[in-house]
Amino acid sequence: MSAAALAELIGAALREAGEPEAEIHARDVRRGYARFAVGELCQHMQLVEPACTVRVARGKRVGEASTTALDPVGLRAAIEEATRVAERVPEEPAFPGFAPPPSAEPTLPRRYAESTARATAEERVARLEPVLRAIRDAGLVASGALETRVEHEAVVATTGLRRHHSGTVAAFRVWALERAGGPGAAGHGNATSIDVDALGLAAETERAIRDARAGRDPGGIEAGEHDVVLAPDAVAELIEWLAMIAFGAREIAQGTSALAGRLGEAISGERLDVRDEPLGALSLAGPFDREGTTRAAVTLLERGVARGALTDRLWGSRVGSPSTGSAHPPSAFEPGGIGPTALVVAGGEAESEAELIRQAGHGLYVRRLHYVNGMLEPRRAVMTGLVRDGAFRIEGGALGRPVRSPRFTDSVLEAFARCEGATRARTLIPNWWSAAGSVAAPAVLLRRLRFSAGSR
Amino acid sequence: MIAPGPVRALCEAALARARSHADVTLAEVRWVRQRRESIRVLDGAPEGVTRAGSAGFAVRLIAKGAWGFACTPVAAEAAVLAMVDDALAVALASAPLLVRRVAFPPRDGARGRYETPVVVDPFSVPLDRKLEDLTAPVSALLAGGPPIRSAEAWMTFTRVEKLLLTTEGADLEQRLTYGGAGMQAIAVGDDGRAQRRSHPASAGFEQLQAGYEVVARRELLANADRVRAEAIELLGAEPCPAGAREVILGSSQLALQIHESCGHPTELDRALGFEISLAGGSFLQPPMLGAFRYGSPLVTLTADSVAPGGLGTFGWDDEGTPAGKAPLVLEGVFVDYLSSRETAASLGRASTATVRADGWNRLPMIRMVNVSLAPREGTLEELVADTADGLLLDTNKSWSIDDQRLDFQFSCEVAWEIRRGKRVRMLRDARYADVTPRFWGSCNAICGPSEAQLWGLSTCGKGDPIQAMQVAHAAPPARFTGVEVGHS
Repeated sequence: MSAAALAELIGAALREAGEPEAEIHARDVRRGYARFAVGELCQHMQLVEPACTVRVARGKRVGEASTTALDPVGLRAAIEEATRVAERVPEEPAFPGFAPPPSAEPTLPRRYAESTARATAEERVARLEPVLRAIRDAGLVASGALETRVEHEAVVATTGLRRHHSGTVAAFRVWALERAGGPGAAGHGNATSIDVDALGLAAETERAIRDARAGRDPGGIEAGEHDVVLAPDAVAELIEWLAMIAFGAREIAQGTSALAGRLGEAISGERLDVRDEPLGALSLAGPFDREGTTRAAVTLLERGVARGALTDRLWGSRVGSPSTGSAHPPSAFEPGGIGPTALVVAGGEAESEAELIRQAGHGLYVRRLHYVNGMLEPRRAVMTGLVRDGAFRIEGGALGRPVRSPRFTDSVLEAFARCEGATRARTLIPNWWSAAGSVAAPAVLLRRLRFSAGSR
Repeated sequence: MIAPGPVRALCEAALARARSHADVTLAEVRWVRQRRESIRVLDGAPEGVTRAGSAGFAVRLIAKGAWGFACTPVAAEAAVLAMVDDALAVALASAPLLVRRVAFPPRDGARGRYETPVVVDPFSVPLDRKLEDLTAPVSALLAGGPPIRSAEAWMTFTRVEKLLLTTEGADLEQRLTYGGAGMQAIAVGDDGRAQRRSHPASAGFEQLQAGYEVVARRELLANADRVRAEAIELLGAEPCPAGAREVILGSSQLALQIHESCGHPTELDRALGFEISLAGGSFLQPPMLGAFRYGSPLVTLTADSVAPGGLGTFGWDDEGTPAGKAPLVLEGVFVDYLSSRETAASLGRASTATVRADGWNRLPMIRMVNVSLAPREGTLEELVADTADGLLLDTNKSWSIDDQRLDFQFSCEVAWEIRRGKRVRMLRDARYADVTPRFWGSCNAICGPSEAQLWGLSTCGKGDPIQAMQVAHAAPPARFTGVEVGHS
């Protein structure tokens, strides 16, 4: 079903229901998912993910229901369910009503590639065959996934709102492993694009092989402070967590966010600039959120100063500002709510990671982080996590011996106050836990990040 | 009958289609319908009242030795037949990249029906009553105003109905009902520092396989004054001092400890390397079976899919293996994995019945069931009284563990210092870190059955694309020595 057809379908359901105040948001996602492990293609799936959320208002009373049945019968049932809820819930005084039509549709960079939309199971297999062969020939074990995804999204409301969008995403992640499942050296590569032809599987595979070879026989590190060069994947993981605990209007109102009561104040260093730029080039997102609001560019941190928060229509009404178009639909893990869409971390002047490594002199180079958690003390953005898939000592301004999985625990905002460099280039990293959202991040040089010894 | 007649007919048609292909050596056709209600009250107003429905069909099949999977939400014969053709096409396309053909041990299919015993159907309880059951505790948490900044209570109910038909002859119907309720208060001090206190647990561990009766069991209103007082007390508490200490983990914190440091590393697909692309591997490798000392002799951990009330309880897993109970760690020794038919067979073992998918459009895979610590004796207060110098840590705040499930760090909402058998003061921002076998090897006391609360989590993440699964852990508080503690 095309996005226009999806809009037509839910628009017809809305008209037929005759509700005076209602909104329907729908997505129809098709995913070809080729997951490989232990050196072979072991989980190859053709997935469909329909989802539709209906909201019905009775004045300030709002009911919500969702369904996976994208047909007239299923949509009618969801509208009736939302209506039953709306008739029973108490009023929400701040409910601002549903979104009006936009004054104009924004112009987006290209978000759709036929090559991705039309990719077949045979094509995914053909693209992966040289990946698996290269890693096997290197005496290593391959693991990872290649996904080709096409998404159609639409939203309509009784306000006259009617918008739709189609996009594609191609994503490749690869590991080259010394051993299949137990401890051992690992190298990683990844690439994300709207266009499966632009992924560069060979280069990412080569990078994974190189790091796995270099990572054999790792040593430990001394507990304490180490200067680190964090590759873009590692930076993205920290910023993604920062967004979860700090950038939403709800967390600010509850007082748990590092931004609470500090808007306009410096809460980190001058090198930390974070914006949500959903409509920009470093994004995979469509033009509107689940409420149909055009996604806004929002400056969250500017040279370390807290500048703004993300809102949906309800929280915008509560805090007296317009929605930033940051409403997300519910997922298996979250009830839906406010979140960033396409975070962009400002780059610096360094032409390459190698330049940052030279600048660091001595320290650690970290390719990726693992199991970061930012709930220790959200107000200070204290986080902990481990490094994974490539961690090396920096010795004499060059990469040296591998190190095994040390753990850091530090305030990320305080750590970025000790940032002394960043690459000009940014890499787009999709959120690993969700099909929505991304972070575009540079590599950075942070001085004196706090590590425990790594006890393995 | 759980699956409506037309649904069963469509599944039978899909199975017949799969049988008609000469290349197909096994096919499992499933139908899954889910219903969910989620209600949240924030600071006295409903923050979200959501009712969700989901239904669809899936097929997993083996053709030319390769797996194929496809799904559809469309309840029509043409759609389910096309689904089978899609899965076959995926399998045939994948076959040339196989190193080994899938070895799936044959078995006669079981037939039967399983249903959660429910006292009060949660979907029959009026919304007004549910809102009242949440609004009252939120009002109590907010009573008195600052420093309480925000208070929230929630409840969630899920019903999963499924039908599994296989070419082996399995015909299994199940209806599972899950639910839970919880609350939290956030206090903010004059210095801007915030402290959160939750009940009965945090991180979503408040669920059980039960009906609406679970809400009364969680006693939100009865605990509101305590939760509010503890949140405020934490604002003035000292940070937890650093050092190696004897620690007692409260029941819900121990549940997360079991989850992360025993549940996940005993998943055989992780150990064999099939989960690298999201979760990682496992330090518990097959040659260690039956010999590796995982914990002290007090420690027995069991995979139990028949425990009443557990989120990991069912009649059969999604491969048709009947539910059961098997030790993973027996008196400290690692003895078995959470496994599937295919992975268990690769070790010459039988499946421990753990394979599940989180919905109709996801591939079934090894998931934790109810992975529980066997109780020993005594109460929590007796254990505290038996501790000369230590800490009692409870209610999880943060969790982090490495990709082999060895090096972990957790922090807790609350800690109490214990001196000469008594809790002497509350401490804030406590965290502890250790290495899995050293930590479990230091276990020197485990409370008895009366303290072994069952904690259910419905959002255990695993798989690629990621799936959210219902799991549970019975966790009697236990004591560990020489644990590195500190504060954030």
